[in-house]
Amino acid sequence: MPAAVKEKSKNKAPAPKVRKSKFQADLAPSEDSIVRALKAELEMTSNTDFLSDALALFRWAVSERKRGHIIVSESSTGERKILVFPRLERVAPEVALPQVDIHWNDKELESLAELASGQPAQPTKALIRAVRH
Amino acid sequence: MAVTIRRLEEFDDVENFDCGDEPLNNYLKRHAWTNQQKSSIGVTYVALEESAPRLVLGYFTLATSSVPRDLLPKKHVRGLPPYDLPLILLARLAVDHRFAGRGLGHGLIAEAFKITLRVADEVGCRCIITDAYRDRVGWYAKYGFIPIEGAGTDGPQKMFLDVRTIRAALRGAIEQE
Repeated sequence: MPAAVKEKSKNKAPAPKVRKSKFQADLAPSEDSIVRALKAELEMTSNTDFLSDALALFRWAVSERKRGHIIVSESSTGERKILVFPRLERVAPEVALPQVDIHWNDKELESLAELASGQPAQPTKALIRAVRH
Repeated sequence: MAVTIRRLEEFDDVENFDCGDEPLNNYLKRHAWTNQQKSSIGVTYVALEESAPRLVLGYFTLATSSVPRDLLPKKHVRGLPPYDLPLILLARLAVDHRFAGRGLGHGLIAEAFKITLRVADEVGCRCIITDAYRDRVGWYAKYGFIPIEGAGTDGPQKMFLDVRTIRAALRGAIEQE
């Protein structure tokens, strides 16, 4: 090894030790067999790897719901299933309102366009009270 | 009566809800949860009393929609930005008749306005639209909803409220404080 490189590696500060947390869980027999089956299916040998991957997946799901995205699986024939997981719904923003179609006739569209393109009406007293509520 | 308003949850007690209107009762009991969690058709918010935090006293349902710009008459689109018109649909609002007259409807619509403002800030929306029963048009008009012309005389009346009007109301409320 060249001397300069040797010197550099000598002076290198030791990497800080990362403190690892222990994670222990009491699993019901049925959950334990699910874990074992999944580990076998995914060819995983360690619980650490299993937990790490599960955590990554869960973290991704939470971040998607936080952004208001829905999580969907789609079959090769186009059949779609939406993942519904109550805990995830807790992090979904209230702004994630679903999109629907409204039927409008031509006259209604004209009236809507006229209202939306015009000057906004002054707020009523009841409206002011409501937003102060 | 201390009332809280939050999103509908799976085990909320909706079975005894009775606003005197069967389609509105039926929607809450049979469809609201499924539409919210599985079909993503509408999000329902419920009013609950603190002493009975699962018993639903009133509710409203919101969804978003948009009107494609090319469907709007040309003479009006000049006053609009060059995009589809995003809006919020206040699809349903109902109060259990046993709790009527206690300001629950006002509390519910106030929450709907707050959510509308948040949605407008976060993702944009131009107005809030509701389909009002004919005998409730006056109640919505009190809050500034304007009837949209063109509906038949039998069915519900579409009504419009500009988000800019709600923002102006918020400014007015702040100035009054």
